[in-house]
Amino acid sequence: MNRHGVTPDGRTPVVVVTGFLGSGKTTLVNALLRKESDSLVIVNEFGEVPVDHALVENSVEKAIALPNGCLCCHLRGDLEETLLGAAMRRRRGEIAGFDRVIVETSGLADPGPVAQTLYADHALARDFKLGPIVTVVDVFDVQSRKVSADIARAQIAAADVVVLSKVDRARDFSRIESEIRALNPAVECIPAQYGVVDPTAILEAKPATERVFRPASHSGAIRSFALKFDKPARRELLQQFLSTLVELRGKDLLRVKGIVPVEEGFVLVQGVRHVFDRLRAVPAAGEPALVFITNGVEESEVQALWNAMKGLS
Amino acid sequence: MFLNMKLLAQHTLNGFGGMGEGMGMQLARDGRRVLWLAHESAPKNFTAVDVTDPRALKVIAQTDLPHAQMRSNSLEVSGDLMAVAYQVTKLGLKPAGFELFDISNPEKPKSISFFDASGPHSRGCHQLWFVDGKTVHMACADPELKPRNPKDDQVYRIVDVANPSKPLAVGRWHLPGTMDGDDAPPPQRLPAKFDAGFRAHNTNVYPERPDRCYLAYIDGGIMVLDISDRARPKRLSHWTNSPPYNGFNHTALPLFGRGLLVVSDECVQDNGADWPKLVWLLDARDERHLVSVATLPAPPAETFKTRGGRFGAHNLHENPPVPGAWRSEDIVLGTFFNAGVRAYDVSDPYSPREIAYFVPPSPEKSRTGQIQLNDVFVDDRGIVFTVDRGGGGLYALEMKV
Repeated sequence: MNRHGVTPDGRTPVVVVTGFLGSGKTTLVNALLRKESDSLVIVNEFGEVPVDHALVENSVEKAIALPNGCLCCHLRGDLEETLLGAAMRRRRGEIAGFDRVIVETSGLADPGPVAQTLYADHALARDFKLGPIVTVVDVFDVQSRKVSADIARAQIAAADVVVLSKVDRARDFSRIESEIRALNPAVECIPAQYGVVDPTAILEAKPATERVFRPASHSGAIRSFALKFDKPARRELLQQFLSTLVELRGKDLLRVKGIVPVEEGFVLVQGVRHVFDRLRAVPAAGEPALVFITNGVEESEVQALWNAMKGLS
Repeated sequence: MFLNMKLLAQHTLNGFGGMGEGMGMQLARDGRRVLWLAHESAPKNFTAVDVTDPRALKVIAQTDLPHAQMRSNSLEVSGDLMAVAYQVTKLGLKPAGFELFDISNPEKPKSISFFDASGPHSRGCHQLWFVDGKTVHMACADPELKPRNPKDDQVYRIVDVANPSKPLAVGRWHLPGTMDGDDAPPPQRLPAKFDAGFRAHNTNVYPERPDRCYLAYIDGGIMVLDISDRARPKRLSHWTNSPPYNGFNHTALPLFGRGLLVVSDECVQDNGADWPKLVWLLDARDERHLVSVATLPAPPAETFKTRGGRFGAHNLHENPPVPGAWRSEDIVLGTFFNAGVRAYDVSDPYSPREIAYFVPPSPEKSRTGQIQLNDVFVDDRGIVFTVDRGGGGLYALEMKV
């Protein structure tokens, strides 16, 4: 139930499960469904045989397959239509209710555009909000990620939770974990054997700033850092700051998220590349900070911009 | 059907699951939470359910009415006292009025006193409000008054029960023109198919404004009354949607910190015959000038209108100022008969949003073949309790917003 001054949010979370082909996404989705059955699953088929869809063990009415293709920019329209249709059918009682949507992307999808779809489409944002981005990483098969390294890095950089799959087949996966943390230091890594994980840890994962943020070592062009706030910011100034950042380097903001103190309380900031969700009042949680995962945008540059805007306002 | 609400438990109340519009929570001295429920019609009077564990509901008391030509549609709990409304089916029958009970031992409710409102023009009490342990505000006939139209019998009455063994009538108000001897002309009635009467329904009074009664008056709209002089309530303002709408204003719920009034209609006809029945948001910053600014988004009419039974607004969770009750000025919950129980975010009064709902499957004993959720009460743990008018009894829900 809501707390005083915090806008109640009844929107249904959309959990995005991403990861390379064969990494164990479908196994994970099936395991989640066994424990949290009130989920609508949207499966993105890729290739001639919709293997993933056939594996989804759930009622027909709650599993929807998108047309052939990668759930990336050119298919966002399909996702929008599917989600809006599901919301309408739920409201009319044509399908049973669902507590969440799980979108299983194809292996080659960058989750960024999916997140952008949810932030940018106002009709969609009435009923849905972005839930955790879950990236499944096969700790046994390192080679496949190297083939499309940019996508692999984007998937890890965008993640709120990384599920380490097939840990039973790898003797030591600490090196993989270190690689992941180099890209996304605050991310929670959860080992899973045969998709067995605690669904709550995944489906209700909180924004990364609620966890301890560790400074990153740089990996290629990926940068991750936290902008901290010593006192409450003016909401309008924060909005202007984010707009300026987007205008200047939007394409390089792989993920920006966190809770920021403002004069009226706290607001949740969530953004992917050029698109940010509207600022929403939330209760205080963890250390207030904005976590940036960027493609080459340096911490010193962001800090300097904030300091300059703060000083001039 | 559900959105952000989950069923924790249902109890059909020993086969007597047709429930009215009285739900009151008692925080018993032994630590239990007891929910007292009014029945829609005879033979049962009221039922007490131990809801301490909302997943394991237990009936701990259930009582019978003295005869079948009456009902106890409404009740309220204040501490260890409970007031139960008695309404009869024919003019002149008894008991008509309300009864006060000592519920300090929930398993054995004990009658303390009875307030008699019977008379040749009286059907007794339909609804009451009792939250301070001292005063009953109610929609009840007054034997001293003779309505010009028998549908207009129940007026707003104030009864002092500071001494629970001797209830004392201290004030009343009725719409001018509805009683014999009034100077005002009779009000213009709604078309016969919608004419439900110019009489009181909900009579809400809160500690934030103990000198105000927020009175719904069925086909007469809603009123804000000045009750600083309880013997002579005065009307400060009036708002109505009917005509052109189809009457039956049921509840006026003030959200004091927001300067808002939430007004619910009641649907009283099956299969959408009196649709639309809505919940209205009024700007009440100036209590003398009430302005309608929005209606809560209605459940989809194409889905529910002809589904069977009633469809439309009815009771709201009224933020009762009593221990154990949840209070919110941002979220409004209401029951909509076959469209279930629904919650709305009214933090932006110009753009209210639906944020949760639950429509249970039809209960076995339903006359209409559909669920008919009738009333809702939310406790301070956030558990939503709702009752079915047909036979489904009590539902306990968790709301996740």
